[in-house]
Amino acid sequence: MATRKTPRARRAVVIGGVRTPFLKAFTDYTRMDTIALGVAATRALLERFPVPRGELDALVWGGVILPGTAPNVGREIVLDLGLPHEVEAMTVTRACASGLQAVALAVAQIERGEADVVVAGGSDSTSNAEIKLPQKWVHALAPLALGGKVAPADYLGVLAQLAPFTDLLPTRPRIAERTTGEVMGEAAERMAARNEVDRASQDAFAVQSHHRAAAAMASGRFNDELCVVETPDGQRIHADGLVRADTSVEKLAKLRPVFAKNGTLTAGNSTALTDGAASVLLMSEEKARALGFTPRAAFRSFAFSGVDPGDQLLMGPALAMPKALARAGLELSQVSLVDLHEAFAAQVLSVLKMLASDAFAQARLGRDRAVGTVDPARLNIHGGSLALGHPFGATGARMVTTMANELAQGDHETAVLGICAAGGLGAAAVLERVA
Amino acid sequence: MSDFLVELNQNPLFQQVVKQLGLPLPMPEKLRRGRGPWPALPLADAKVVVFSGGRLDAELADGLARAGASPHVVAAGSLPSAWRAAGEAWGRPPVAHGPTDAPPEGLRAHALVFDGTGLETPTSLRALYDAFNPWLSSLARGGRVVVLGRDPAEPGLSAAQASTATALEGFTRSLAKEVGRRGATAHTIFVGAGAEARLSPLVRFLLSDRSSFLTGQPWILDARVRTPAAIHFTRPLEGRLALVTGAARGIGEAIAHALSAEGARVLCLDRPGDEAPLAQVAQDVGGEPITLDITAPDAAARLKEDLARLGRPLDILVHNAGITRDKTLARMSHAYWDQAVAVNLGAVVTLTDALLQEGLADDARIVCLSSVSGLAGNVGQTNYSASKAGVVGYVRALAPQVADRGIAVNAVAPGFIETRLTAAMPAATREVARRLSALGQGGEPRDIADLVCFLSSPGAYGLTGRSQRACGGMFIGA
Repeated sequence: MATRKTPRARRAVVIGGVRTPFLKAFTDYTRMDTIALGVAATRALLERFPVPRGELDALVWGGVILPGTAPNVGREIVLDLGLPHEVEAMTVTRACASGLQAVALAVAQIERGEADVVVAGGSDSTSNAEIKLPQKWVHALAPLALGGKVAPADYLGVLAQLAPFTDLLPTRPRIAERTTGEVMGEAAERMAARNEVDRASQDAFAVQSHHRAAAAMASGRFNDELCVVETPDGQRIHADGLVRADTSVEKLAKLRPVFAKNGTLTAGNSTALTDGAASVLLMSEEKARALGFTPRAAFRSFAFSGVDPGDQLLMGPALAMPKALARAGLELSQVSLVDLHEAFAAQVLSVLKMLASDAFAQARLGRDRAVGTVDPARLNIHGGSLALGHPFGATGARMVTTMANELAQGDHETAVLGICAAGGLGAAAVLERVA
Repeated sequence: MSDFLVELNQNPLFQQVVKQLGLPLPMPEKLRRGRGPWPALPLADAKVVVFSGGRLDAELADGLARAGASPHVVAAGSLPSAWRAAGEAWGRPPVAHGPTDAPPEGLRAHALVFDGTGLETPTSLRALYDAFNPWLSSLARGGRVVVLGRDPAEPGLSAAQASTATALEGFTRSLAKEVGRRGATAHTIFVGAGAEARLSPLVRFLLSDRSSFLTGQPWILDARVRTPAAIHFTRPLEGRLALVTGAARGIGEAIAHALSAEGARVLCLDRPGDEAPLAQVAQDVGGEPITLDITAPDAAARLKEDLARLGRPLDILVHNAGITRDKTLARMSHAYWDQAVAVNLGAVVTLTDALLQEGLADDARIVCLSSVSGLAGNVGQTNYSASKAGVVGYVRALAPQVADRGIAVNAVAPGFIETRLTAAMPAATREVARRLSALGQGGEPRDIADLVCFLSSPGAYGLTGRSQRACGGMFIGA
């Protein structure tokens, strides 16, 4: 594994992050699209960390379900917030790792010296997923809509093109792999079987996620990162909507499998469709000091990985995290905090098994020994996506925020993040405390 | 060229009628053939039953897991640790079965693999019966049987050991004929001492959908050819330069396509007069046409000029060009004799010898087309059979001379293949040729191409000096 030979001239640091409360899709955020959610989080970020507007260089945004008429969500956020027009913006998509990808791009911009102050984050509104008309309509109607003069006979032509009148209804949107057609839960179900992860351990892990998130909420630990969102119908949203403080293994055990007959994945140990946004303020270390901000964390490394989506779709972190750790010059045992995106309890537990396996390390990573076991006490200490929910584009920025805040408390030196994503992708990053 | 019986057997109405009437018709099964380049996981989620008990657990466990197979391991006592390790690494936990367990209800096994390398005496052969008698019924249509044994020619083996190992071949040849009508195939692999690591690529190939027309074959792995620097199972021929003779049509065209699909740059050679189809093939595979009479005295020199122009030697040489000049011996003209021998054998020897001096890279692969006719003989083909048998002898003798350069040289002997040539045969003869085989049907050019492509890959480094049949288990010949 190649480590960086040239020392970095510039270091990118996290000043802070803010996220909206995460709500189950089709609840109170239904009338807010991904842009509105991104605006809410970023507005709160810039209120909490008042950067002189002229210092802002760029905004990088991550999203998965992009609005067809305005796919550059990042630029729309800048415009809706009334930020200076000079703040350039882009939108990036890397499935569930989009938020972390946005942060990685912003960090690279800063490290290369192209920018000093960048907002990075992500958002998604499953509630506003667009229902797509079958391409048959598009091909038949577009020439009429976009062309010049239309004669009555042309309408007959459209009818002729649509005949036979089949496949004309919009299909239900599904989170299915384009190449394999497999729904993500089915892939996770297969991973549970292939890595011998049973129902009981999945349920136990999900319960732990809820209890830890509930404890963090109760202790005010999330106050640093949450903002209040006012919805168009005047409601004020203060807290995450999916966390269940009162859940238990007994309750989860009653749920029925949803992805396979005799399966192990239930609504209780899988993430729900979620609406929300998270936004992070990044600066070069010098600029942060000059503007009087206290950095909370810096980035040691990033890594991304890809596997065959038809094999083990969500194993990406088991490959990306060792890569990121090697680039950071660290062993897993030396890292104080581990934050894994919880798409499904089965997927997290599969990844942990892989990291703990000598055989996996030898066959897949070219290492003699396992990457290491993760002490449950330092894994997802404030819960994860199972409890909080998972607005696809926002999760990476949420994890960066939570870990940066944790490092800033001073008890921990480093944190490693791992995210699985559709398409067989994995993403990882190593953060360190800024002394 | 379509095969009426294979097509008919695909017809649901016909299947219904046969079922209703209970007709004992041995209809040939439509073979499943892979398309496109080799996939990363050729055995994705395929259930492979392995009868453990030999010395090859580690190689099988690792190779099958990497190919995506889900193993069922039949073993006396505890499961060898290699299976757990491979299962953990690749997320393919083995399902263990005791030696007397019946196959699980509803299991459709893609393959049955029997590790017979531990068998030493004739009595121990009973293990074959004990394994296949109960488990054969769980083999899926179009499945695979592979029986592994020690190389009977291995020095130091007692006569009893050698005889026991050889017995595996007879067993498998018969089994190939029994399972053939279900589209399933059976092979023996003899693993020579020190060649254990060379097993995986061959097993991966034989269990894949690229070997559907190969059956009843012994394969002997040895450690003569030096180990290549790297073995890739996807795009294995990337960066390699290949030459295919007789590439304008038929089998040669299919070979050019197969090599190109795996990443090779293919020089397509054919005789003057075939420029138009040759240019088309070369264009299709993104290669280059070379028009050359390979029997011309200056053929080798001209080929070397072409290679010099490209500035690099060949990595793959496929002698596919061949002609028939059939007549019973008494009526055969000497021109017929000379032409067949010159093209089918003379040019092979001359060109290879010349290119070996200068023009073939280290670690190269040479594949020559022989014929089942060369192994078995055929009326009216004394010239052809002589030349094709000569090819078998040539690769056998050349192999040890070039092994230390990492060069492997093998022959492929096609049986009845549906091509322009065979379409011109009298209908009755053609029908007999098709049906007198374990699979009950003819092959397609790409069946030959798939085998040639495998033998051209770095992973085939355990095979050299061998002549492998691609004949659907033809009943004739050795």
